[in-house]
Amino acid sequence: MLSISGLEVSFQGSPVLNGLSLSVVAGETVGIIGPNGSGKTTLFNCISGFVTQRGGTIALRGEEIQDLQPNARALRGLGRVFQNFGVFRNMTVLENLLLALESRSDQMLSILPWSSGRAQQKEQALALLREVRLEEKASLKASSLSGGQMRLLEIIRTVAAGAEVFLLDEPTAGVSPRMKDDVTGIIRRLQELGKTVMIIEHDITFIERFCTRIVVVNEGRIVLDGTPEQVRSDEQLKEIYFGRA
Amino acid sequence: MSDISGIIFSEYTIHLAILVGLYAILAQSLNLTFGLGQLFNLAHVASYAIGAYTTALLSTEAQWQFVPCVAASILLSGAFSVFLGTIALRLTNDYFAIGTLAFGAVVSSLLINWRSVTHGVLGIPGIPRPEILGLDMYQNSNFLALLLVFVVAVQALYFAISRGPFGRSLRALAEYDQAAAALGINTRLVRNVAFLLSSAAAGLAGSFFAYYLNYIDPTSFAFGEMIFLMTIVVVGRPGSFFGVLLSTAFLVLLPEPLRFLNLDSATLGPMRQLLYSLILFAVVWWKRRSIFPEQREV
Ligand SMILES: Nc1ncnc2c1ncn2[C@@H]1O[C@H](COP(=O)(O)OP(=O)(O)O)[C@@H](O)[C@H]1O
Ligand SMILES: [Mg+2]
Repeated sequence: MLSISGLEVSFQGSPVLNGLSLSVVAGETVGIIGPNGSGKTTLFNCISGFVTQRGGTIALRGEEIQDLQPNARALRGLGRVFQNFGVFRNMTVLENLLLALESRSDQMLSILPWSSGRAQQKEQALALLREVRLEEKASLKASSLSGGQMRLLEIIRTVAAGAEVFLLDEPTAGVSPRMKDDVTGIIRRLQELGKTVMIIEHDITFIERFCTRIVVVNEGRIVLDGTPEQVRSDEQLKEIYFGRA
Repeated sequence: MSDISGIIFSEYTIHLAILVGLYAILAQSLNLTFGLGQLFNLAHVASYAIGAYTTALLSTEAQWQFVPCVAASILLSGAFSVFLGTIALRLTNDYFAIGTLAFGAVVSSLLINWRSVTHGVLGIPGIPRPEILGLDMYQNSNFLALLLVFVVAVQALYFAISRGPFGRSLRALAEYDQAAAALGINTRLVRNVAFLLSSAAAGLAGSFFAYYLNYIDPTSFAFGEMIFLMTIVVVGRPGSFFGVLLSTAFLVLLPEPLRFLNLDSATLGPMRQLLYSLILFAVVWWKRRSIFPEQREV
């Protein structure tokens, strides 16, 4: 589904990704862990098109996308959920979803607020909000949501945009312990829908709940790749996090 | 005696209504880029000038009629924004502001120095008011009626935009450009179209301005005019359709009482500038956190 090969990124001459390669098959859920500053978010930014690589290729369903604009990648099914919350806080919860549906149906330049398809789109948006139990908040500003609700909104909005591959960057950061189960719920739902999911997470016990594969990133490379058990029991993991003993 | 004052009063009222109408087009169109899109567009007055000079030159030197003149003003101002957009929209935030400021300065300087076309500081006199459906447009009440048709059309357009999908995508990229792109929104295209619609409307206002005054020169398009337009949008709250409409009327009419102080025009001009600059400064200071919420980035 997604195939990354030899990806190299540097900022002001200092390398952040050093020939990183990774392949993810359709319907797979992959957890990505690694120390702070190891390049996990940069990897997602590069896949999404917000950061330009110095070298390497990114293929989505066999098509090379590394030179496309971010919006063109999104239209090919690449979804992104941002570490610093990508919800539009100045808009209502409903508008956040309408935006995704309108973009998907190529209406972002349509000027008139009234049209035949509009009512149907609103229904569709409300149905999606119901899935994450946010339909009662539909007309509230998104800034009034809790951290957990914002994550749910952003994920369901990415579903509305038609994503097949989901890049979730620390989806439980800023989420109360009680709401973590809701986030788990929506990720399970993505799995049921057959989506391909990549999750950056610090909490290994959290991603173990739905990942059969975990990769460990360190200094811009993948240093471990295996089942949660294999990764957990590997001596290298301790070295990466706690330094050489 | 009271008859005469009644006539003067009504002529005066009509004059003010025409000014409010012109500025309603200018300010609401700036509100699209500067307000909804949070694009620091400092070339709006340049678009306005291009529209005014297009109509002034075509109606005097080529004797074009009303419809082709207005259409040419809209098209040329639109074309200017496409040209400017392809260059300046590659820049972000502050750099975009500087880029549009530079273009505004180029246009200002052309108005003054490209004498063979613009007649420099002498300006262009003798712009004839049009005749439409047999109505004499030298009668200001008729001119006002004509202008109002366009004012209503433009306001309706911007109202629709502010509530519809296009306005929504524009607000989205103003808040978090990359999150909008991640939903598949072509952010550059949306910005360019906003810029085009905004600039074309300024061209329309320029055309009416030329017809109304019968004479234009570069002083009407100086940087003070840009400050005035920004003041209107900031006071009305950037992005708010009705707010900008109200603040247009309020700020256009605000300095009118100064007229009755019997000041000469050399004092009156700077006093109005000072008044607007102070208002702009005060509102920006008072609302410095909420006028432009910080743009987020990955
Ligand atoms: N836009 C940027 N400009 C300069 N340096 C950056 C930028 N983004 C990330 N970095 C640097 O790249 C390194 C990796 O960052 P990041 O990918 O965010 O790490 P992680 O998500 O794994 O914590 C860090 O040293 C960070 O400071
Ligand atoms: Mg990160």
